[in-house]
Amino acid sequence: MNTHELERLLMQQPVSLLHRLARGRISRHFRSGKRKLVDLLLQASAENRPGLESDLQALIDQRAERPQPAPVENTRPPQARSRQDVPAPSRPHRTDDHGHHEPPVSLHEWLSGIGVPPPQPFVPDAWQVEALEKLAETDVVVSVPTGSGKTYVAIEATARAMRENRTVIYTSPLKALSNTKFTEFSRVFGPGQVGILTGDRREHSQAPLLIMTTEILRNLLYDAAGGEIDVRLDTLGLVIMDESQYLADPERGVVWEETLIFCPSQARLLLLSASIGNPQDIADWLTAIRPTPCSLIRHTKRSVPLRAGYLHPNEKLTPLFRTAGIPYGQPHLLHPEAKRLFMEYEEETGPSRSR
Amino acid sequence: MPPSIHPVDLVATLRQRNLTPAIIFLTSRRACDEAMQSFERSQVTLPKAQQEQIARVLTQVTEQFPSIAEHPLIETVQRIGVAAHHAGHLPSWKIAVEELMRTGSLDAVFATTTLAAGVDFPARTVVVTQSSIRKARDFTDLSASEIQQLAGRAGRRGKDLVGFAVITPSPYIDLTVLTKGLTGQPEAIHSQFVITYPMVLNLLKAHPREQIQSILAKSFAQFQLNQRTAVLETKLDSLRAEMEPFGPRVCSDWITQWQVFEQARKRKKPRSPFARQESPDVAARLHFLTPGRVVGVTRGRGIILRQYRSKGQHAPMVTLLREGGSLNECPASIVTQVFDRTFDCEETSSYPWCTPQTLEELTHHLTELPPRLPILPILAHQHEETPIDSSIIHTLGDFACPTCPSRQACQRDFPRASRVRQEIQRHIKSIQALQTSLWHRFQERIDVLEKFGYLNANAQLTADGEWARLIRIDHSLLITELIRAEAFGAIDPPLLAAIMASIAHDDDRPGSFPRGSTGLVTLLFQVRKLAESLTPHEAPPMLRADVAALTERWVSDQTLTWIGLARLTTMAEGDMFRLFARTIEFLSQLKTLKATHPSLAESADHAIAAMRRGVLEELP
Ligand SMILES: Nc1ncnc2c1ncn2[C@@H]1O[C@H](COP(=O)(O)OP(=O)(O)O)[C@@H](O)[C@H]1O
Ligand SMILES: [Mg+2]
Repeated sequence: MNTHELERLLMQQPVSLLHRLARGRISRHFRSGKRKLVDLLLQASAENRPGLESDLQALIDQRAERPQPAPVENTRPPQARSRQDVPAPSRPHRTDDHGHHEPPVSLHEWLSGIGVPPPQPFVPDAWQVEALEKLAETDVVVSVPTGSGKTYVAIEATARAMRENRTVIYTSPLKALSNTKFTEFSRVFGPGQVGILTGDRREHSQAPLLIMTTEILRNLLYDAAGGEIDVRLDTLGLVIMDESQYLADPERGVVWEETLIFCPSQARLLLLSASIGNPQDIADWLTAIRPTPCSLIRHTKRSVPLRAGYLHPNEKLTPLFRTAGIPYGQPHLLHPEAKRLFMEYEEETGPSRSR
Repeated sequence: MPPSIHPVDLVATLRQRNLTPAIIFLTSRRACDEAMQSFERSQVTLPKAQQEQIARVLTQVTEQFPSIAEHPLIETVQRIGVAAHHAGHLPSWKIAVEELMRTGSLDAVFATTTLAAGVDFPARTVVVTQSSIRKARDFTDLSASEIQQLAGRAGRRGKDLVGFAVITPSPYIDLTVLTKGLTGQPEAIHSQFVITYPMVLNLLKAHPREQIQSILAKSFAQFQLNQRTAVLETKLDSLRAEMEPFGPRVCSDWITQWQVFEQARKRKKPRSPFARQESPDVAARLHFLTPGRVVGVTRGRGIILRQYRSKGQHAPMVTLLREGGSLNECPASIVTQVFDRTFDCEETSSYPWCTPQTLEELTHHLTELPPRLPILPILAHQHEETPIDSSIIHTLGDFACPTCPSRQACQRDFPRASRVRQEIQRHIKSIQALQTSLWHRFQERIDVLEKFGYLNANAQLTADGEWARLIRIDHSLLITELIRAEAFGAIDPPLLAAIMASIAHDDDRPGSFPRGSTGLVTLLFQVRKLAESLTPHEAPPMLRADVAALTERWVSDQTLTWIGLARLTTMAEGDMFRLFARTIEFLSQLKTLKATHPSLAESADHAIAAMRRGVLEELP
C-alpha cells in the first residue's frame, strides 16, 4: 500500500478506530481531530509502516466481525482473549443505577477492617509453589500483581541452583534496584555468596549469585558469543529477570529481547513480571525459541484486597465505587456520592482548567 | 473550592482516617518539593517516639551512605514524618526514604510517578492526583498497567488487611481514565525491538550473514509479527475463497482487461466504443463486423473471426477466414459488402480467435454458401462528432470486450472481483512486509556499516569493526567515528569525561552551569559537526555544553566537594548523579578498548577514577 492509499483508507475509518490505532503511537491523540490524527499516524509510523497497516487491518476486520461489543467476563482473569492488543470491550451499560444494584457501600463499611493482620507463619502461596515446581522442568514466566511475593520465588530458586553448584544471574532494570537486591540477597545468602557487576565495577564476581542490570548481562552474552568468555557462563544454571515487563520499554526493551535470544540454552529462565495483558505470548515465544518449554504462572488476584476512594478538595472522603472492592470490568459503577462531588468539582473548576 | 486539596490537609485527613502510611503521587518534582515546604511552615509535630524512630533509621542508613547526613530536609522529615521521593534526589536519599517507609516510620511520602516501576516501596494507601503523565514533553493518559502499578503499592502483605487507592482531583485529572484503569485489564505489551549498530556488529562477529535472518526470527518482535501474519493469512484464505467464482474467463486476466477498458470507455462516454476516424462508410460497417459474420471482399467472400485495431495506425482491422481455409488479417475497409448471414462463432482470446471446432465448421459453411446472399443495407451517418483522442481509440482497440461473449458477466462481476483482488494483493504485500521487515532493517544497517568501513563487502568485521563492536551504548556510531577521527588523540581525562557526558546526557531540563574550558568548547564544536554529518544514520545526541562543563569541573578539580559542585549549578543533585553515573558507564565502554586504543582506554580509566569520589563512591 502506498502512502496515498493508506491515507485514504485511514480517512475512511471512524474516528474511534483511529484513536485506538493511535494508542501507544501518538501522545495526547485524544486531542486531535480526524485529519490531524491521520497525519500524525502516518508520521509516527514512517519507520514501521507494516505494523500500522496490519494493526489497521486487524481493527477493520475486528469491527466487521464484531459489530456489537461482546460482554466481558466480570471476574478476572479472563479465560481466553482472542487478540490481546485490543482493549476489553466494556460491559453493556446499565443505565439504571438504582434498581439493579445493591445499595452503594457506606463510608463506614468501606473504612472497616483497616489494620494489621496478626503475625502468621510463612506459608508459600499455591502459585509460588507451582512456579518452583515448574522451574524444575521448564523455564517459567510469572505474571502476578505488584506485591504478591515474586522475590520469594527468586530466592528459593536461587537456593536450589546454589545447592546444585550452579551459578545464578539475577537482573533488574535499574541500578538502584540492583543495589537494593544486593543488600537484600546478601542478608539472605551471606555476603560472600552474592556479587554485583556494573559497567566498571565488580564486587565478589566469583560469587554463585551475581546481580547486574540487563544491559550488563546482554554484554556478557555478546562477549561470550564473540569468544571472550569472562564470567562462568558454562556453569550458569539459572537466569532470573525481575520486572520483565520492561521488555516493552520503548528505549531499553530491545536489550531484554537480545538477552533472552542469546541466553545459554542450559540455563533455566525465570521471568518475573508485574501483571501484563499477554503473558501467554511471552511464554509461547520462549517455548518457540528455546529448547525447554516455558510455563506460565499467572494470577490477577491481589494478596491484599484493594479499595478505591474519592477525596474531595473540601476534605470529604467517599468510596469511589458502589462496591467496597474494585468492580473489575465495570468502571461505570461509581458511587453516587463520588459522582456528585466530582461533577461539582468539574463545574466549579471547569472553565479555568488547563494543563 | 480550591483546585486541589492542600497537602497538609490531605495528610491530616489520611491520618485521621487511619489511612497512613500513604504514598501521594504528584505531577512533578516541584509539586513534591512545594508540598514539603508547606509542611515546613505548618505546626505539625510528631510525637517524640516516632521522631526517635525516624532518627534511628536515618542513623543506620547514614552509616552506609554518609551523604545523607548533609541532606537539608532531615530535620523537617523527622519533625513531621513526611518526606519527598523523586528523581531530583540522590539515590542514597531515596534509599533512606524507602527504608523509612519499609520500617513504617513515615506517615506520607510525596512522590512522582517515576516511582511506579521497580522500587520496593509499599504503603497502606496510595493517593492519585493525576490521570496523565508527561512523556517526552507531552502529556499522555496513564495506561491501565501504569494505574495498576501505582495502585499496586497500596496494601502491604503482612502489614495491612486492606489497601486503599484514593483519588483526589487536581486540574490534571480525568476521572474516567482512572476508573477504567482501576477496573480494567492491564494492556498487552508489544515488542520494541530495534536494530542497533552494535547489535549488527556483534551478531556478525559470531555468525555468518546467512544465519542472521534465522536469529532475527527468534525475536519477540518477529513472534508478534507472526501473530499478525497469522491473522492476515486467515483473512487471505477467506478472500481467496471469495475470489473463486472470478477465475479466468475468455481472457485469463479479465479483471485487468475490464478495468482498463472501463477506464477508457468512461473517458470517452457517451459515444460508442468504435470511433470513426475512418470514412463514414467503413465506420458504419464496423458495427456489423462481428465474429461469425459473412462478408464480401473484393475477390470472393469470407467470415469475420475478430475485429481489432492495428497497433501502429490504430486502423480498424479484421481477421478474415477466406474460402479455401486461409486466415487473413486485413483492414476493415477491405469489406465491400456485409451479408445478412451470421454463423455461431465460439471465440477465443488468441489465434485463431475461435475454437478449432468453430474454425472447421466455418470453413465448411463457406464452401456451402449459396452464390447469392442478401446484402445488408448500411446507412453511413454523416456525423459532426469531434474526432476522439487517438490514445483512447488505441486503448479501446486493444480490447475485445465490446464483442466478447463474456461481456455481461464481466460487467456484472467487475466491481466485486476487483475489490476482492485488491484486498488480496494488499494482504499479500502486508504479509511479505511483516516477514521481511526485520531483515530489511538489518541489511540497511549493514549497508551503513559497510559504507563507514566497519564491515567489508561480505559483511565481515573489518579491523575497525572488531573493536567498534565493544561500544554497546547509545550513539555508538558517533563515538566510534570520533575515535577513528582521532578526536580523542592524547586527550586529558577531564575533557574526555566532559565529551562523554555531553553525549550521554539526554535530558533537556534547563539550568545554569559553570563555563567550560576553551579546549572543551573547541572539541565540542568538532563533535557537533561530526554528529550532524551522521544524522542520516544516527540521531544526534543533545551535546549540551553546560553539562559537559559541569563534568569537566568535577573531574579536573579534585578538591571540589559534591556540595561545592552543587552550588555551581541549578541542576538537581539527582540529575547530577545520573549524569555522572551514565558518563562513567560510557567511559567504562572506552576502557574495554585497551588492546587497540591503549591511551584512550587509560584516559577513560583515569577519568572514571577521578569521578568516583564523594557521593559517587557510595554505590557500586
Ligand atoms: N506466601 C507469602 N505469605 C505472606 N507474605 C508473603 C508471601 N510471599 C511474599 N510475601 C511478602 O509479600 C511482600 C511483597 O513481596 P515482593 O516479593 O516484594 O513482591 P513483588 O511480587 O512485587 O516482587 C514481601 O513483604 C514478602 O515478604
Ligand atoms: Mg519485586
